[in-house]
Amino acid sequence: MASLILASCSSAYSADVPISGNVQTRCLITTDTNGVFGNPAPSKLSTASADGGVVPVVRYDVTLADAYLAKVTTPTAFSASPSLSDSVTWTGSTAVSKTSDAAMSGYEAAKVTYGSTTQFDLTKAGSTWFSSTATAVYGVNKSFPGGTYNAIIFAECIAK
Amino acid sequence: MPLSLQSALLSKLRSIVMLLLLPVSSIAHEMTPTYPVFKTSFMEGISITTLNIFNKRKDVSYYEIGVFTKEWESVSFVSQYTVIPMEYLDTISFDVYVSNLSLDSVEYICSVSQIQVGATVSSKICSRVK
Repeated sequence: MASLILASCSSAYSADVPISGNVQTRCLITTDTNGVFGNPAPSKLSTASADGGVVPVVRYDVTLADAYLAKVTTPTAFSASPSLSDSVTWTGSTAVSKTSDAAMSGYEAAKVTYGSTTQFDLTKAGSTWFSSTATAVYGVNKSFPGGTYNAIIFAECIAK
Repeated sequence: MPLSLQSALLSKLRSIVMLLLLPVSSIAHEMTPTYPVFKTSFMEGISITTLNIFNKRKDVSYYEIGVFTKEWESVSFVSQYTVIPMEYLDTISFDVYVSNLSLDSVEYICSVSQIQVGATVSSKICSRVK
């Protein structure tokens, strides 16, 4: 009888519930904060906080070190706007605003900027937050016509 | 500055609706694997690899697929979709078929979000064929 109970316990004890999974190298691009243009002057729209705007923030999560390049391109045109009769001058920049690992502190100094694109080498695994400022100036002291203005940040994650 | 002019100016400024304010929930785009490997398909002279896209972007319903050389020139390919329709939180697996004649020139396979009016971030993820 005792051996029967023992056998039964042994059988119950050895019942396995397998959990399997697969972790792949990956890059995840997440929009943490959508940008908003402030309008500090009639001829200027800007995402800078000092100008009353909200800086857009994009987060990159990578699970393998030294596998991806992050490229963030600030806008050079409106994707939607009222009809504009004069030229718009764009300036923009992208910077590292936060990292999940102190070892990523060198990203900002090592960034490469060309045109409106800023490239970062994601040499560590983890999350990096990039914030971009974009400023649009209309003509020479011309007032932007009333309406809705949209512009787009282009975030790329390219495997190395 | 006259008060009426100030008032008119403020009114004009208020009438400019600033852009891009979407719900603050985070939105994300993911493509795996990072380094896809082509293998022989069931068709002679054609190789195949399989990738997955995860759409956590409420503001994106389509992703466009592209295959490129190291110099970012387009490479001809065949897939179930060139533009993949995706619901929010969908994961889709898709095959990319490339002729063996051009296989050596394939360097990147990319997915680009096709954004809608009002979206603020366009995302592009490229896997690399090593």
